[in-house]
Amino acid sequence: MRILRAALIIAMLSITPLASLFAEEAANQTAIIQVDGLSCPFCAYGLEKNLKKVSGVKTVKIDMKTGKATVALKPNTQVDDQTLRQAVKKAGFTARDITRQ
Amino acid sequence: MILAWLMVLATGLLIFAGIATAGPITFNSALPVSEGVGILRSQVKLVSKTGDATALNRNLTVTAIPLVLAYGVSSKLALFGMLPYVNKRMDITMGTMRIRRRAQGLGDGKLFARYTAYQVDHPGDTLRIAPFMGLKAPTGRHDKRDAFGRLPRPLQSGSGSWDPFAGIAITRQTLDWEFDTAVSYRVNTNASDFEFGDEARLDASFQYRVLPRSLDTEGVPAFVYAVLESNLVWNGKDRLAGATDFNSGGTTWNLVPGLQYVTGRYVLETAVQIPMVQRLNGTSLEIDWVWTAGFRWNF
Repeated sequence: MRILRAALIIAMLSITPLASLFAEEAANQTAIIQVDGLSCPFCAYGLEKNLKKVSGVKTVKIDMKTGKATVALKPNTQVDDQTLRQAVKKAGFTARDITRQ
Repeated sequence: MILAWLMVLATGLLIFAGIATAGPITFNSALPVSEGVGILRSQVKLVSKTGDATALNRNLTVTAIPLVLAYGVSSKLALFGMLPYVNKRMDITMGTMRIRRRAQGLGDGKLFARYTAYQVDHPGDTLRIAPFMGLKAPTGRHDKRDAFGRLPRPLQSGSGSWDPFAGIAITRQTLDWEFDTAVSYRVNTNASDFEFGDEARLDASFQYRVLPRSLDTEGVPAFVYAVLESNLVWNGKDRLAGATDFNSGGTTWNLVPGLQYVTGRYVLETAVQIPMVQRLNGTSLEIDWVWTAGFRWNF
């Protein structure tokens, strides 16, 4: 019985961190924005700066070749597509498709 | 007055140095200045004029360092301010003597606004049309004297006049190349009985990405562009106390090969303006070359 109880405690202790990790991953979100009109590195800075200004945005990564801005959101925050589109527009570009991961 | 024509083109170059964003080196583009983003730009510009056919044997050297600040008020509207430091030096033969006259200090500043009136975006591709208008302000001195008396007006660091200008810039930019063109006109007004001739410009620029040769790396790689620009500049004749100076004004056409290194935060660039055609009035000096080197910084 003692052995069974110990095994149960060990199992619970080992599962709990994993569970919280999965919970955090579920709370984290990534938005991938297809940005039209982005064709020069110097202009990419304005896009990055405007997206980073959005409340709830953790990091922004831009890929020139594909024209995609990958926006990582802070845990447990909601940023709607319209807000992201507005940030892209402020930078002088056009947001086409936004996909979530 | 005999020197009046000498600085007209150089002055034009100083007050219309290319502004902000990546793009052309010698004139303005229609590329965006993002809302809330500032761009600081500066250049060093050296102008050399020699080959005087008269006994004066004039040699002129101009060094100009324009400092430009651009700010995106909105995604469509950008404001620009420019203030140059200039050093103008002219060597002249007077009798048996060779004398040097010079002026240095702040040149005339410029304020203007640009509005993106038309924009079509595709993946890695944009077309923009942006009219602009502004005012050249007399921040430079126009009453400087030396041991030989008051410096001729074109040798002064400023014009003394408030001069409005307007134009339109068109840019097509892709990941591989960029084409820009701009047309502009500046009305030069009278100040202290002197009026520089008006200026009209037709500019074009083609930039081709030579490095990286293919965009294999992710992220925002640095680009190296080979640049070829063309400046067609017409200057009207100056007027002194209502009389036309027939040794001023004319038309020049420059070809401008250059290089640009463009990253997300800064641009380094250099170019040489080579005069291909110079149809100048009277005994005007011709330009030998204009060398430009500069940087732009996003903040």
